Amino acid sequence: MTATLINANPFPEDYEFDQALGQLRDEMIRRSDSVSFFLLREMKIRYCVGCWDCWWKTPGRCRHRDDMEEVHRAIVNSRWLIFATPLVAGFVSSLLKKLNDRMIPLIHPYMDIIQGECHHLRRYPHYPYLGLILREEEEGDSEDMDITAQIYRRFAINFHSQLRFVHTHPVNRKEVLRATGNI
Amino acid sequence: MDWFLVGYTARTPDPWELYYLADLNRRERQLDALNKATHVIMIFPLYTDSMPGIVKQFFEQMILRPGRSSLKVGFIVQSGFPESIHSEYVARYLEKFVGRLGMQYLGTVIKGGVEGIQARPPFMSKALYRKFNRLGAHFADHQSFEPELLRQMRRPRRLSPMGRGMIVFFNYIGLTNFYWNSRLKKHDAYSSRFDQPYLSSERK
Repeated sequence: MTATLINANPFPEDYEFDQALGQLRDEMIRRSDSVSFFLLREMKIRYCVGCWDCWWKTPGRCRHRDDMEEVHRAIVNSRWLIFATPLVAGFVSSLLKKLNDRMIPLIHPYMDIIQGECHHLRRYPHYPYLGLILREEEEGDSEDMDITAQIYRRFAINFHSQLRFVHTHPVNRKEVLRATGNI
Repeated sequence: MDWFLVGYTARTPDPWELYYLADLNRRERQLDALNKATHVIMIFPLYTDSMPGIVKQFFEQMILRPGRSSLKVGFIVQSGFPESIHSEYVARYLEKFVGRLGMQYLGTVIKGGVEGIQARPPFMSKALYRKFNRLGAHFADHQSFEPELLRQMRRPRRLSPMGRGMIVFFNYIGLTNFYWNSRLKKHDAYSSRFDQPYLSSERK
C-alpha cells in the first residue's frame, strides 16, 4: 500500500502533534507500506496565483518549480492521501490550503457532470482516497469540524476521490491503520 | 469588484480603499485598514471548494490581531461552475468566522458561472455587470447586500436535469470546452492537454 501523509501543522513548538504523526508514519512503514511524508512548514511551496498555466500552457505542470513537484508525484502514485492539520481560525491551516490549491494541475480544466454537478474531468486514471486528521482549537467547537469535513467531502468529489475518514487528534493510530489497510 | 465599485461610487462620495490580499508584503497595511474601516467587503474566487490559501493566511492574521467589534464584514465569492452549491460550505464558514471575531456579518454573495469571463464578448457579461452594479449601488444606500439580489445571484443552486443534459450535449459538440481549447491552442499545448507528467510507469 502506498500513502502520502501531509503534516500541515504550522506550529514548530507543537511537537506533540508532529510526534503523533511521526508514530503513525512509522507504524505504516512497519506494516510494509510505502509512505511519502511531508512536513509542509519546512518546505518551499508558493501560493497558487490562479494563472492557469497548468491547464493551458504546460498541461499538468505548475509554473512554480518548487517543492510541490515532489508532492504531486507522491500523490498521483499513492493509494491514500492523508492530510493532518490543527484547525486554525476554524479551518485547516493555510499551509494545507495552499497545498490543496496547488493540486489543481492534477485535474483537467474540461468540465463534466459528476454526481449531478459540474466538476472537472480527471487527468489521471487513479486518485488516492482521502483521510483527514484534525485537531480542534481551544476556541473552536464541533461546528468547525463539521464545516471542515463538509468542505473536504466537496473537495473529494472534485478530486475524483472519496473522503474515507475524518479523525480528531490525538489520532487513534489503530483506526487509521485499519481504515487504510482495508483497501 | 470594479463593477461593484462603479455602482457604489455613483451613489455615494464616501471614501473607500482597495487592498489586494495577494500582496503579502502589505499585510500590515491590510490589517491596519480593518481598524479604520466601518465596513469591509472581501471578494475572492472559489479555490478547491473554499477560500484561496492566501486569503486563509489573512484570516489567520485577523484572528491574531482582530479589528473592532463594530466592523461589518461581507463577502463575495465567485466560482467558475454555474451552481452555487459549490460555494455554500465556505459561506457557512465565513459567517462562523466573522461571528468568532465578534464582528457583524453582512452576508456572502455567491456568483457562479464566471469562468472565462474575460474571454467573453462584453454583451455576454452585460447582465452580470448590471447585477454587480446594482449590488454596489444598494450597498452605498443601505450598507448591506440587497436580499433579493443575493437570492437571484445564487441561482441555480444545482442544475436542473435539463441543465445537466445541456452541459452533456455542449460537451459532446465541444462548446463547453471551447474557451479552454482556444487557450490551449494559443499556447501550442493542445496536443499535450491530457498529459500525466507525474504518473509512474507502474501506475499507468
